[in-house]
Amino acid sequence: MSSSHEAAPSPDFLAEEVRRYHHFIVLALWLAVVTGAEIVLIFLPIPVAAVLTILTLMSAGKFFAVILWFMHLIYDKSLLFWCFVTGLALAFASFAALLCLFSVDRIDTRWFS
Amino acid sequence: MSDTAAAHEAPTSTGIDHKKLIMWLFLASDCMFFGTLISTHLLYRKLYPAGFTDAEGHQRFIQNLFNIELTSFSTFILLMSSFLMALAVSAMHKGQIKSFRRNVLGVIFFGLIFLGCQVFEFTHFYHQGLTIQNSVLGSTFYVLTGTHGTHVAIGVLWLILMYFYSFTGKLGGHMGALDVEVAGLYWHFVDIVWIIIFTAVYLVEYLGPNGIWGTGLPAVAK
Repeated sequence: MSSSHEAAPSPDFLAEEVRRYHHFIVLALWLAVVTGAEIVLIFLPIPVAAVLTILTLMSAGKFFAVILWFMHLIYDKSLLFWCFVTGLALAFASFAALLCLFSVDRIDTRWFS
Repeated sequence: MSDTAAAHEAPTSTGIDHKKLIMWLFLASDCMFFGTLISTHLLYRKLYPAGFTDAEGHQRFIQNLFNIELTSFSTFILLMSSFLMALAVSAMHKGQIKSFRRNVLGVIFFGLIFLGCQVFEFTHFYHQGLTIQNSVLGSTFYVLTGTHGTHVAIGVLWLILMYFYSFTGKLGGHMGALDVEVAGLYWHFVDIVWIIIFTAVYLVEYLGPNGIWGTGLPAVAK
């Protein structure tokens, strides 16, 4: 951590921060509304597959909204975005691989003899 | 990337501050860690849908155990703490140390409420008979949510230290703002992991009459 005796932020930078501040407020309200909608959705008489799809989309929307705005990925260099997406893709690939492995109900052991 | 961000480009080969880059790489690796834990929980829920057996030997289902009101409340709290963290980072960038302290105190307070809710939930589940040892469900559930809770506790501790450090006068300028931003990244990550856990672990249990996993019992003809 450094000394506080550094140059003051430029007016452009401060204007940008004020603009972001308003984005954060809008996003926080949006996140609260979507979370409320998710909770209402699970009690509605809608087919399970449809609810599951909508819940997945809503969660993905919230997830990416937080990483893009709150975590500044939309303002930062794209290298950071791709670093994170690589980890995310590997996590999702692990999930998909496990799902495929465990979806096999009975393994023919003759293959191994 | 915006012009203002370009104006604050770090003097490194990537143009990104090393602390920030390392934090993003750590978060990417933590993504894989949580991805594995969530996958394990979901797969074992599918393979062992029957729930668990309590101390009296009764078969119990997790659908009857969850308290959606409490979980929704703690989710909301964590989302709002993320909002306050974004405001704290913004205040630090603007050099408003008092605003930073106010917002960080809010984040710490909300983080402690979240942890309190989790302790309450774990205690309730334990008294209902769900332990880490008596079922696969208990093992995967406690390991997943407990790991997340540990991340939240580390984040709270980090922010408490940062709050007190700000009174020394050494937390200022561009490097101080960077330190706060890195702590903020960690906190937001804890929030996005919970967004996934909330849907994948809690909400799916309420879909259909017995959750999407069923009860593991043979269907009874009507």
